[in-house]
Amino acid sequence: MTKTSTKPAPIRRDWIAKSLAGTLLGFTLAMGCSGLLILATAGLSPGTRAQFAMWLVTPIWLGVLSGCFFFSSGLRAWLWLGGANLLVFATLLLARPA
Amino acid sequence: MRSDYIRIYKTVHTWTGILTGMALFIAFYAGALTVFKEPLARWAAAPVAALEVPLAETPALIAKTLAAHPGAAKGFQLNLKPTEDEPARLSWVEREEGQDDHDTLSGHHYSATLDAEGNALVSESQPSQLAEFIDILHRVVGLPFDTDPNRWLMGVVAALYALALVSGVIVLLPTLVKDFFALRLGKNLKRMWLDAHNVVGIISLPFHIVMAITAVVFAYHDGLYALQDKFLHNGRLANAFNQQRPAAKPAPRDPADMLPPVTLLERAQALSPGFEPSSLQYVNLAGPRAMVRVWGTDPAALAPRAMGGFVALDPWSGKVLSRDFLPGTQDAANTTLSSFFALHFATFGGTPVRWMYFLLALAGAWLFYSGNLLWIESRRKKQRQGEALPGQRLDTRLLASATVGVCIGCIAGISLTIAAAKWLHGHVADLNAWHWYVYYGVFFASLAWAFWRGAGRAVVPLLWLAALSTCSIPLTTLLAWAVPGLGMWANTSLAALGVDATALAGGFALMWAARATARRVRLGAEDSVWSARKILPSCQGLS
Repeated sequence: MTKTSTKPAPIRRDWIAKSLAGTLLGFTLAMGCSGLLILATAGLSPGTRAQFAMWLVTPIWLGVLSGCFFFSSGLRAWLWLGGANLLVFATLLLARPA
Repeated sequence: MRSDYIRIYKTVHTWTGILTGMALFIAFYAGALTVFKEPLARWAAAPVAALEVPLAETPALIAKTLAAHPGAAKGFQLNLKPTEDEPARLSWVEREEGQDDHDTLSGHHYSATLDAEGNALVSESQPSQLAEFIDILHRVVGLPFDTDPNRWLMGVVAALYALALVSGVIVLLPTLVKDFFALRLGKNLKRMWLDAHNVVGIISLPFHIVMAITAVVFAYHDGLYALQDKFLHNGRLANAFNQQRPAAKPAPRDPADMLPPVTLLERAQALSPGFEPSSLQYVNLAGPRAMVRVWGTDPAALAPRAMGGFVALDPWSGKVLSRDFLPGTQDAANTTLSSFFALHFATFGGTPVRWMYFLLALAGAWLFYSGNLLWIESRRKKQRQGEALPGQRLDTRLLASATVGVCIGCIAGISLTIAAAKWLHGHVADLNAWHWYVYYGVFFASLAWAFWRGAGRAVVPLLWLAALSTCSIPLTTLLAWAVPGLGMWANTSLAALGVDATALAGGFALMWAARATARRVRLGAEDSVWSARKILPSCQGLS
């Protein structure tokens, strides 16, 4: 390994923190996104809409889980994904018909 | 991309691969065979003398059967194209109350026909569950029963498999262009295996992404729906899925007044001329939501489920209750949803796509096998010139034994349990239980043998076992045909003979693998776990 002075700070491994963030917050984020999809697809029949919402969860969940090791630390993973969750669920609450 | 990321994702790829590789091998090998589940069931079905009931006489068959067996009103099936495994015109399964939906094995199988005087002749049968058994191995990564916990475990495996896919692509990305068209055959065996692993992985990546996502959905859909119902649908999900709920309970109707099947088929055909019906499934005839599902396929359209698609009709009026699952006439939203299933089950594009999936699944199984081999090879302690043979690490030796035992044991176990469908028929009381005993007996014996002998010395005999087991499938059929006195049978439909031909080709491929591996363990590097030439110093205690 060569050492250079301009090298950016190393990426922390933080296996447990990142995996948990990807698994837990990835799942809640996916559920929140499926809620947004339900709101956005009011034109479909309820049964069809519910199926799309169910199918949407897994790709988002697995996508977040697969990508979460790109965060430079476990803390950042929790902060960014937590923020994304807040955003999605806030939108969901605001947009939800009373 | 920063090399840091590559290193992190390489670790992710290594560990997800090691944790799930062998389970995925079983899922993919059994899955490849499950693509041809129906031909396998037809191959394994013992011939029975079924009295044929013409379609025009089925109203009498239905009425008389229901009079004699009211329990059948809960659900029965009218078979339009009798095959070896479904020879009877009318059949049903009676299940225990409260039984798990996914439990496809228990229950009493009945079939009904008409005798010469026109009386209903009901008999209980024990159809072969061989094809279902292989499907279960596929659905729950080699575990014996399709239960909730086993499916959840499969879901974890599938999620880790998704991680392995993404991380594998990330690791390969920086050198993708350079490596993709390179298959460096030569002295560096590890390089060649890695190139092959990468090429197969990248070419079949779309297939694997589909499988990873659908498998996780199949594992957890009940839980996902329940959570979404609670938090997103306000508990209205059951209503969303049952839209034709009748306002009041209608008076019970007489099954004898139902429209004849011929008329129901005409109604279905009128909705979609390309639809080719294969069976009629009558559901809940005594209840308020009575319906008949006309199942079939459309060669020009994708099928929403593994066994095809259907239109649901009212059996008395012929009114269409639901055409959401009718192939070829689904709206855009339902076609999209159905495509998720079709992409998993290979129910689009007919037989050529099935063969493509068969090969992709076998290639997938090889991908996991080769992944484990690469892990072992990367950790090999090399022998330096003039020095004594180094002992290999215990973990690499154990993983080599496990990989060989699990993967080749699975192939041999499945092949022998297929052949057992004919050999044990009539000789054991519960043949379906014996499919379990034979498979797990061979599987665990292979595993034990691999650990006892070490990978290098177990792999060649095990490959020969797998090759001969697989060849025994067509040989059994040949023997049954040549010596009828043995009490076995040779089904001669194209589907059944296709099983024999495929097994023969597979057997020859395994023989080739056995010979190539024998050469390697004899002549390859001695410091490898694949060398059979001498017992490695640190192995001596084990053997």
